[in-house]
Amino acid sequence: MEIKTTSKDNATTLSLNGRIDTATAPELEQAINKVIDGGQRKVLLDFAGVTYISSGGLRVLLATAKKLKNPGDKFGICALSPEVLKILKLAGFTSIFSIYPSEGEALAGW
Amino acid sequence: MPAGNDQLVSLEWQPLPGAGGATIFPLIRKIDTVSSNSYIIQTPDAIILIDPGGLATQAEQLMQVVTECRAEKERPFFILLTHAHIDHFIAIQNTPALAVAGAAVLMVQEEGAACLERGDAAMTQAAMFNTTIVPIKAGFHLVTSDRREHPGEPVELCFSNGALATVTAFPAGATPMSLNRETIVFGPASPPLDVFHTPGHSRDSICIRMGGLLFIGDLFFAANPGIAGLVGWSQEDLIRSLDGIGALLDKGEISQLCPGHGRLIPVADAQKMLPLVKRDAATLADIAEFNPDRAAEIATYAEDIMEQVNQLFTVMAGRLYYISYVLDELEESGTAAELGTLINGDDIDELLDAFRIFSEEHHTKKGVSVHLALKAGQVVGKLQRTFKTDELAHIIDPGIVRRTERLLADYITIFRGFTPPREVTVVDLSSLIEALIEGLTIPPISCDAVFSSTDDEKAFARVLLASIGTRPLLEDMDVVIDNAPDVLFVTIDRENFTDLLTYILEDLVGKGSPAIRVTVCGSGSSATVTISGTTPSSSAGCESQKTDRFLTGLCERAGASLAVSHGEDTRNTYTIQANRVV
Repeated sequence: MEIKTTSKDNATTLSLNGRIDTATAPELEQAINKVIDGGQRKVLLDFAGVTYISSGGLRVLLATAKKLKNPGDKFGICALSPEVLKILKLAGFTSIFSIYPSEGEALAGW
Repeated sequence: MPAGNDQLVSLEWQPLPGAGGATIFPLIRKIDTVSSNSYIIQTPDAIILIDPGGLATQAEQLMQVVTECRAEKERPFFILLTHAHIDHFIAIQNTPALAVAGAAVLMVQEEGAACLERGDAAMTQAAMFNTTIVPIKAGFHLVTSDRREHPGEPVELCFSNGALATVTAFPAGATPMSLNRETIVFGPASPPLDVFHTPGHSRDSICIRMGGLLFIGDLFFAANPGIAGLVGWSQEDLIRSLDGIGALLDKGEISQLCPGHGRLIPVADAQKMLPLVKRDAATLADIAEFNPDRAAEIATYAEDIMEQVNQLFTVMAGRLYYISYVLDELEESGTAAELGTLINGDDIDELLDAFRIFSEEHHTKKGVSVHLALKAGQVVGKLQRTFKTDELAHIIDPGIVRRTERLLADYITIFRGFTPPREVTVVDLSSLIEALIEGLTIPPISCDAVFSSTDDEKAFARVLLASIGTRPLLEDMDVVIDNAPDVLFVTIDRENFTDLLTYILEDLVGKGSPAIRVTVCGSGSSATVTISGTTPSSSAGCESQKTDRFLTGLCERAGASLAVSHGEDTRNTYTIQANRVV
C-alpha cells in the first residue's frame, strides 16, 4: 500500500492507495501514529485509492478515533469507494467519525 | 531406525514390523492433491514400490533408492498401485527411469489396469486435474475374476524381466474375510504380501498388507468432501470395504496403517477413525458425481460466496470493535475485552486473504478448478469451526450471523455433492416484504427493555451489548413501498428469498443510496418485485460481477429469477420474478 502524507490548513492528509489488509494495516497504523506523535490533532484519511478494507484495517481506524477524541481534535475519512463505504456503514463506523465526499469538503469544515 | 512407539520414519530404511527379512523405506508427504506417499519395501527376493506418486522429483528420489538397492543385490522390481489415480502413479509416465517396460513389473487391480491401458482420463482423474495421460500397459492384473474361479490354487508367474512370483486367490466368502484377496509370494525368503480388493474410493482400490503394515491408499479419505463422488466412487462398495478392513484390523495382526496421503496411523487410532469414515460414507447416498464440469461450477460458486463471506465477517468483526469502542466510552472496558474472544479478526483476515491470493494465482496460472473448490472447502471449514454463532447472534444482528452461517453451510453442502435444502411454500408476497422492511427499520431492543433490565447486572450488560450491536439497516433510510393492489401469493423458499432481499437492501444502503423504492406487482402467472436505488458509480467491476452472480444463484435457490441492471446514471435495479399462485 502506498501512503502519501501532506499537510495544509493545520491538518494532515494521508492519501492511501491499495488494500488495507492483514499485511498493510500495521503500516497504516504506524504512519498515522507518526503524524499524531508529531503533534498533529487533525487527521484526514483520503481513501480514494483504497479498494478493500479488512477487519484489521477497521481496528486501525477505531484506534485512531480513540486517539483523536479530545475537544478540537478532528478525524475523518474522505473519497470512499462504494464497497469500502458499505463495510464502514454496516459495521456502524460512520457514527464514530465523519465521512466526507472529498478532501476539499473535509478540510473546508475543519 | 524406528522412532518411539514403533512409528516408522520417513526417508529411512527400517525393519518392516512383523515381516522378518523385509525392510521398508517410507516417503511420507504433507497432504495435497498433487502426489501420494510412496513406500519402498525390499526383501531378499524382490524390491517393491507401492505408489510412485505424481511428481517427477519424487520419482527420481525413489529411483535413486531403488538403484542403490539393486546395486547391493540385483532383484526383480515391482511397482504396485493402491489405485490408478494420477497422484499415485503419473510419475511412472513422466520418469524414464521408472518406465515399466523391462525394468519393473507394474501390478494394478484389473479394473485399474484396464483404465491405464485405455488411457482413461476420467477414471484416473487426469481430466479433473487437466493432465495428459498416455496409455500404460500393466505387467500384472491383481485380484482378477479369472483367478477367483480357482480359489486357493497357487499360480506360478514368470515375468518378461525374469521375475518369478506365486499368486493365490482367496475369494470373498471362501474365508471368513468379506473381501476378495490374493496372496503373492516373491520368493522363498520373502514374507507373503496380501492384496485386498477394497473398491469405493475407486473401482480398482486395493489395500496391501505385509507383516504388521497395511497400505490403505485413499480408503480413509474416500468420504471427504471433494473426494466422495469422484468418477468411479461407490458408496455401497466403500461401506463394504470399510467393514472388511475393520474386520481385518480386529484380528490384531496389523500394527500400523500406511495411508496414501499424510502420516502413518497406529491401528488403535485407525479403529477409532474407521466408524467415523463409515458414518460419513453412510450419509452420502445419491451425491452428485464430482467431475471436471461440477468442479468448475463449485469453484465459481466458491469465489462468489467468498466475496460475501469476506464482507459479512469484516462487518461482524467491525461491529464487535464498534461495540468495544462504545463500551470504552461508557467506561465498561471489562465487558469490551470479553468481546475479543467471539471473533478472531486477525485469523479470519488471514484465512480470507489466503483464499484471495490462491484465487488470484489460480486465474493467473490457469489452475484446475478442483484445487480452488478444495481450497474454499478448507477455508469454509476453518471459518465454521471458529465462528461462535449463538453467542454472536445475541450481540450483533442475528440476521447477519444466520446468513453467514447459512452461506458457509450451503457451500459445504454443495461441495459434498448435495443440494442445499429448499422448502418452497405459498407465501403472501406483500406481507413478507412489509414485515422484512419493518424488521430492518425498528431497533430490535427497545429503550423500555434497556430500562427494565437495570436491576439485574448480567441482564443489563446483555441488553446493553445487543442495543449497541444491533443497528437497524433501514433506520434513517427513505424506503418507499409500492404494493400491488391485490394480495399476491407466490411459491418461493421463504428463507432464501428473505436473504436475497436483505442482501440487495444491504448493498444499496451500504453503498450510499439516499432512498430505496420497492415495487410489487402481479401479471398473469408471475409476480414481480423491483428494488431500486442510486449509488455512486464503482470501479470494482469484478467484485460487482461476483455479487450479481451470487444474488442470481440465491434467487434461483429461492425459486425465483433475478435480473440486475446497473444503469450509467448510477441507478441500480433488481427485478425479481416469482411464480404466482392464482
